[in-house]
Amino acid sequence: MRLYRWLLRLYPAALRREYGAAMEETFARRLADVRRSGGWRLAQWWLREVLGAIVVAIGERSAARARRRQIQLETAREVGPMQGLQAMRMEFRYAARRLVRNPAFTWPAALTLALAIGANASIFAIVQHVVLNPLPYPDSERVIVLDNGALGLNMASGIGMTEGIYYQYLDRAHTLEQLALYTTSEATLTGNGEPERIRVAAATPSLAPVLRTSPALGRWFTQAEGEPGGARVAVLSHGLWMRRYGSDPGILGRSITLYGVPTEVVGVMPAGFAFPNATIEAWTPTPLSRSTGFGIFIYNGIARLREGVTLDAARADLNAAIATIPEVYPEYPNAIGYHLDLIAIPVTLKDAIVGPVARGLWILLASVGFVLLIAGANVANLCLVRAEAQQRDIAIRRALGAGSSGVVRYFLAESLVLSLAGGVLGLGLAWGAVRLLIATAPTSLPRLAEVRVDAVVAVFTLLLAIGVAIAFALLPLLRPASLVSALQGGGRSHTASRGRHRLRHVLMGAQVALALVLLVFSGLMVRSFQKLRALDPGFDASSALTFRLGLAARDYPNRAAMVAAHQALLDRIAALPGVKAVSATSCLPLAEDADCFGNTLFVDGRPFPVNSLPPGASLRAVAADYFQTMGIRLIRGRGIERRDIDHGEPVVVVNQALVRAYFPNQDPIGQRIASSNPNVALAKWLTIVGVSADTTSRALVEAEPAPAVYMPISMARGPEMPVQSLIGPGITVMSYVVRTSTPPRTLVPSVRRVIHDVDANLPMVQVRTLQEMLDRASAYMAFTMVLLAIAAGVALLLGAIGIYGVMSYVVSQRRAEIGLRLALGAEPRRVIGMIVRQGGLVTVAGIVAGLAVALAASRVLGSLLYDVSARDPGVFLTTTLVLLVVAFLACWLPARRAARLNPLDTLRAD
Amino acid sequence: MKWVILMVSDLAFHILLALGEGPSHGYAIGKEVETRSGGRLDPTTGALYQALRRLTDDGLIAPVDAPEDADLRRKYFALTRDGRRAAAKEAERLDALVRTARQRKLYPQRA
Repeated sequence: MRLYRWLLRLYPAALRREYGAAMEETFARRLADVRRSGGWRLAQWWLREVLGAIVVAIGERSAARARRRQIQLETAREVGPMQGLQAMRMEFRYAARRLVRNPAFTWPAALTLALAIGANASIFAIVQHVVLNPLPYPDSERVIVLDNGALGLNMASGIGMTEGIYYQYLDRAHTLEQLALYTTSEATLTGNGEPERIRVAAATPSLAPVLRTSPALGRWFTQAEGEPGGARVAVLSHGLWMRRYGSDPGILGRSITLYGVPTEVVGVMPAGFAFPNATIEAWTPTPLSRSTGFGIFIYNGIARLREGVTLDAARADLNAAIATIPEVYPEYPNAIGYHLDLIAIPVTLKDAIVGPVARGLWILLASVGFVLLIAGANVANLCLVRAEAQQRDIAIRRALGAGSSGVVRYFLAESLVLSLAGGVLGLGLAWGAVRLLIATAPTSLPRLAEVRVDAVVAVFTLLLAIGVAIAFALLPLLRPASLVSALQGGGRSHTASRGRHRLRHVLMGAQVALALVLLVFSGLMVRSFQKLRALDPGFDASSALTFRLGLAARDYPNRAAMVAAHQALLDRIAALPGVKAVSATSCLPLAEDADCFGNTLFVDGRPFPVNSLPPGASLRAVAADYFQTMGIRLIRGRGIERRDIDHGEPVVVVNQALVRAYFPNQDPIGQRIASSNPNVALAKWLTIVGVSADTTSRALVEAEPAPAVYMPISMARGPEMPVQSLIGPGITVMSYVVRTSTPPRTLVPSVRRVIHDVDANLPMVQVRTLQEMLDRASAYMAFTMVLLAIAAGVALLLGAIGIYGVMSYVVSQRRAEIGLRLALGAEPRRVIGMIVRQGGLVTVAGIVAGLAVALAASRVLGSLLYDVSARDPGVFLTTTLVLLVVAFLACWLPARRAARLNPLDTLRAD
Repeated sequence: MKWVILMVSDLAFHILLALGEGPSHGYAIGKEVETRSGGRLDPTTGALYQALRRLTDDGLIAPVDAPEDADLRRKYFALTRDGRRAAAKEAERLDALVRTARQRKLYPQRA
């Protein structure tokens, strides 16, 4: 509405007074009508109204002028008073004709605009769909993630939920309308085709109501199915249903085998439902019961706020609910003497999903905005050159009685045609670019599947094009005096009007400044990326293959059976030609969505500390020769060996970080540790026999290496032991690592055959080389860096073209003067110096401005950078030098041409 | 009578027809034009007011006082005598065309 009121300003003042209010009223009522039909039609309607308003405004202005002129100037009959729309149509036709007849101007200008507008449209498409659009759940702004932190464990956030906290919230939190818990895991899906591993979310039946989503086919879980002993049911993702079951609606009520257990399919979710993320292909109910007690932190929580409740209110409410936990659960750690210091950290679901990438995307959008400004400056320069050439044309119009609005019309028609052409081309480019971006973007970019070029993006693009057009049309008018003087000046002038030069130089300086800002930003990103890649991950990533295998608990019911199966697989793979070593682990460094197990440790001979908890450690089950296969250095002692596995030796290897955390200034070798209290059944003391180097665990960039414990698979948790026993990581799913003497990928078929021979029901999933895992870990930074570098590269190129264009023009305008100087004996070197100095001054001014902006703004990069200061002097210096060199070249080339002029030619030509 | 009267455009004729029912305002006129033309004519707000302005300038319609209870921002228009004549002339012209079409068997006879 405000936009429309603003558009009405384009109308002649008299008309606006007369009809403005009435038009606003009509517009508002129509808007209300169209709003009801929503989406596409609304966007279409807006576009039509905006364009219509502009066209009519221009028409009305010309009609008003025509009326005035009819009275004042009957002599101008030949040009003829044209009316409204028809007049504008004519104007457009003439403008298009002028442009087509002048391809040397039109093509570079339109392509430059298309590139810049296309880049803006594509990044806007991503920002709009990933960051701006609400999540695809009704009233999604009320959905929050129920995270917790445990200050006693030095974990400010991210430890998730337990059953106890869930029931506590359910009973006492007044700000939540509904809440749900879920965990994700992998399961083998068998029956109806090849067995495959899929990712499954086990959730309380309240998950669908929290998200206000229901299956497209069939039903969601009932309350009874979410209780212990409930029926085994599953809801499939739309993708799985299409891929594996051919979209057969008869799937409902059929039985599939999940986790080796017959499970009834009761529903299929709608396409696009991707909670908690797009990798999940089935949902099962998680049995939850109050009898569990406080429980363990293995759940993620999500909730829907009551209407009108703020996040702050919810935080206070949840923390109040947490405070009463010790009264409800006597076995809660606080009650037996040490403090978790739990705090509730609710965040909106959108922030949780989009927050980590939003900043990077906004910066990218700003960067391509800069590119558009630079491109705009180039086109504006081209327009200025043209405007000079068109001065006679315009002067004639003026002589025939055209007011300044007529001149505006002349330029506006031209720039509208030009930038709309650029906009349409740009939209086409964006369509292609978005597909390319989706194909190459890291999978860690959330909501990627929702990104597309749609009506909103199209409207954004066209409005951008119109905005650019209006800016261009106004530029040549900044110096109306020079237009008038064109008639009088005749054309023989040795220096072009000063004002026009000043405008040109301001544009050029602005280009230099903007290009420098982008260069600095991308330079900082490149430097970060270099540092990230130079980081030692703690293992040897070259020529090693990894994949994951999950054994079915039905076929391998206990730890001994699973260890034997894994060992048999390892032995057969080791015998393959090209294999140098092979091992397996429950938790591979950098593995996405690996279910890694963490706990605080008991140390033999040390009372479990009161009032504070020892740091958490990551516990990993490994097969023999793990350190040798991964290339992880052993600092002291020995690794886990085959005899440890075969004889069930109670030994462990720990990393240096664990030694620092648990045994500072002590000899760790020979100390005994345990994850669960060894006085309880199942748990055993494990003796430290070696110390390994630290490796990265979850991400390349970690504040500090995490303490880690490597235990033999024969000491870890078998399928017959409950998760709550906490004795160690489960060994159902293991990541295999194969060190090869040939390129790793070539071994995949023979490994697959071996696995099939051992167990035909074992799918081999997430087949990657270790190098690929490293690449994936830095993929998001690489993505941002590459896009920023492209933007900076384009900015530099356009900036250089801009400088070159301005300097060439300056030279061409001063040909006569230069010729005269040369004829009078000036040295060519001095002529070059004179020209370069002129360009250099502007460049330096631009660089100073650019450095100031970059210094002030580079802080926004903040968290995107790794180990590089946002004001890294090296980066600032290098990029400034690069820009200086490029700018110098762009000035020098036209200057050299000037010095080579034949003085006689220039004087004669004029 | 001015020559423009013989040349009312399609949109202008529809507006004149809409005002045949009595004085009306922008939004209602636009709505009536759209329904009457079966959606064929759906002028933007800008185009609608441009046409209203021209018809006013040509003296075919004239602003009139709004009813007591109407929105203050609204502007009501009514047909002038010239406007009625112009509408009649245009209808006559169309009628003549229809008659010719009938004579030449291009259009079914009235039942």
